[in-house]
Amino acid sequence: MDFELPEGIDQIRKEIRRFGENEIEPVAKKYDREEKYPHEVMDKANEMGLLGASIPVEYGGAGYSVLETSIICEELFAIDPGIGFCIVASSFGTEAIQEFGTEDQKAEFLEPVARGEKISGAAISEPHAGSDVSSISTRAEKDGDEYVINGNKMWISNGSIGDFFVVLCQTDPDAEGRYNGFSQIIVESDRDGFEADKIKGKLGIRASDTAELIFDDVRVPEENVVGTEGMGFLQQMQFFDATRVGVAAQGVGLAKGAADRALEYAQEREQFGQPISEFQAIQHKIAEAYTDIEAARNLTYKGAWAVDQGEQITKLASMAKEYGSRVAVDVANEAVQIHGGAGYVDDFDAERFYRDAKILQIYEGTTEIQKNIIARELLGKGMS
Amino acid sequence: MKILVTVKEVAEVEDEFEISGDDIAEQYLEYDLNEWDDYAVEEAVQISEEAEDVEVVTATIGPERAEETIRMALAKGADRAVRVWDDDIESASYLDVEAKAELLAAVVEEEDPDLVLTGVQAGDESNGATGVTLAEKIGFEWAAVVNQLDLDIEGGVANVHRELEGGVEELTEVESPAVLTIQSGINEPRYASLRGIRQAQSKPLDVQTLDDIGLDADVLESPLAQTDLYEPESEGDATVWNGDAEETAGQLAEFLRDKGVVEG
Ligand SMILES: Cc1cc2nc3c(=O)[nH]c(=O)nc-3n(C[C@H](O)[C@H](O)[C@H](O)COP(=O)(O)OP(=O)(O)OC[C@H]3O[C@@H](n4cnc5c(N)ncnc54)[C@H](O)[C@@H]3O)c2cc1C
Repeated sequence: MDFELPEGIDQIRKEIRRFGENEIEPVAKKYDREEKYPHEVMDKANEMGLLGASIPVEYGGAGYSVLETSIICEELFAIDPGIGFCIVASSFGTEAIQEFGTEDQKAEFLEPVARGEKISGAAISEPHAGSDVSSISTRAEKDGDEYVINGNKMWISNGSIGDFFVVLCQTDPDAEGRYNGFSQIIVESDRDGFEADKIKGKLGIRASDTAELIFDDVRVPEENVVGTEGMGFLQQMQFFDATRVGVAAQGVGLAKGAADRALEYAQEREQFGQPISEFQAIQHKIAEAYTDIEAARNLTYKGAWAVDQGEQITKLASMAKEYGSRVAVDVANEAVQIHGGAGYVDDFDAERFYRDAKILQIYEGTTEIQKNIIARELLGKGMS
Repeated sequence: MKILVTVKEVAEVEDEFEISGDDIAEQYLEYDLNEWDDYAVEEAVQISEEAEDVEVVTATIGPERAEETIRMALAKGADRAVRVWDDDIESASYLDVEAKAELLAAVVEEEDPDLVLTGVQAGDESNGATGVTLAEKIGFEWAAVVNQLDLDIEGGVANVHRELEGGVEELTEVESPAVLTIQSGINEPRYASLRGIRQAQSKPLDVQTLDDIGLDADVLESPLAQTDLYEPESEGDATVWNGDAEETAGQLAEFLRDKGVVEG
């Protein structure tokens, strides 16, 4: 166990909490109820340089490591998962440009995201291809020095407010091998034939924007291909370690936010002439919650640290993601229970955290898929 | 131009706390940058952003723990920091205003700033005297409780608004070098940016002992001693109503009627 917390991390935590208390908490319920993207909060987050934290300094970001961005994520999700998600998701998809992009692509696409002028997204899932990513059918056909894109992407975060998306497309349907023949292509939302249809009625993280993207003969120049044509799927997979650790951090933060609120409520609420925190049944819930959170946190930090060391940690990342999201769902559930009836209405945050938690077991690979991966690694089976 | 900003890490007390000996028990304390100093730092940083060649240096008296707080000021844009501390200061029984001003005066002598900004007061002890005492010691012109500052760097003049008792404002000119004690609300302190926090880790932070700044332990002697700390008994209650005027006026009327202040 030789991982260490980075310098300055206490200041980051403190300043994010101050930001959250002043700028997020007072409006969190409103954005959740109205299912509205929090543009005003995003502007303030941008002033604080919270957007694009992982983008390298030379492109205007803060150049934070996976461990640092995980801790930022944890703090934001403890304040409000909906708005926290909007902040961390504002640069979705740019990891591919950071890693595989050309200098021109970096200048054109990373800098405005780091400056908070543009919002990006990653478009992988489709109506008929969720867990089974390799069955996606959005097609990009070469026509001279352009690609013509047709197909639909489903559940895309930032879909109706984003400025560009890194879209996983099929460029060579005849390629041999399940994972070949895909490419990551940048598509700007102002291209002709691009349409986004906002998806309403989400259970949680309702401040975040989710949409279906429709590509109808959308033409983009060949310069928009990120990395190597035909290698898109394998490129995409390289980021799973980091993005899954990121979701694990969301889980740690969400669970901490729910547990802190429950702890506070338990000390205030009196029944049978004493605070309910005097009852052992309540004490045990709280003890278990904080123990689980600490375990999830250590798993997450270890994973994040290992990614920063350049290690490939497929199994560990899946373990962290699966466990972190499970702890979030369990702790949020107990937090509502500790609130009793008050936890069932939106006077308290417990209800919102409970609804927000579930998504963590679905996106970035469902719980079942994470377990498949862990087992596959344990049994020594390769990807098939 | 050089601006020296004095900053203090203050202890903030939770709502519920216990007293242990002459102090509030450590577990109820949280440390943070003094609120007024946050405004002073912001004012200095804004000046440095508007004019060329302005160096902002923070000066603090405090233990190693205070470095986290000092780095926050660096993250917001101060260029470097000086922290005065040693074993003698650590073991001094009570650091009074006089002693603090003496230490800060020695730092001013070393740094030779054109402008010294302090907070009006510190949130923990609320003496509201350190800035002005410092000005007297170093013989600078001063203005206290400044809530608007307009600096003429060329002319070496600060045009300031001062907040006086009863909401009266005074407009004066102060010639530099000067000490200004900054009132909260003069500006809107920024959040430290993530980039700023990263850069702050490598900005210079010098630790100076009494010896380094040319003083000896005699300056720490104080005629003052803290003898007790206790929580005053509350002698009355305040009721606060929230809501719009119509709603709260009704509640107030009912309350006054209940208490027998008005009849009918
Ligand atoms: C709010 C939100 C935001 C999202 N943001 C994005 C985004 O920005 N970009 C993007 O590309 N996608 C995004 N997604 C999509 C998300 O990643 C998918 O929903 C997820 O991968 C699951 O795919 P699916 O919904 O098609 O479910 P399915 O794959 O149809 O799964 C249905 C059920 O079957 C199970 N299952 C499937 N395969 C197996 C198997 N082999 N073994 C065992 N069980 C299995 C699943 O675990 C699940 O329980 C988002 C989704 C939501 C809800």
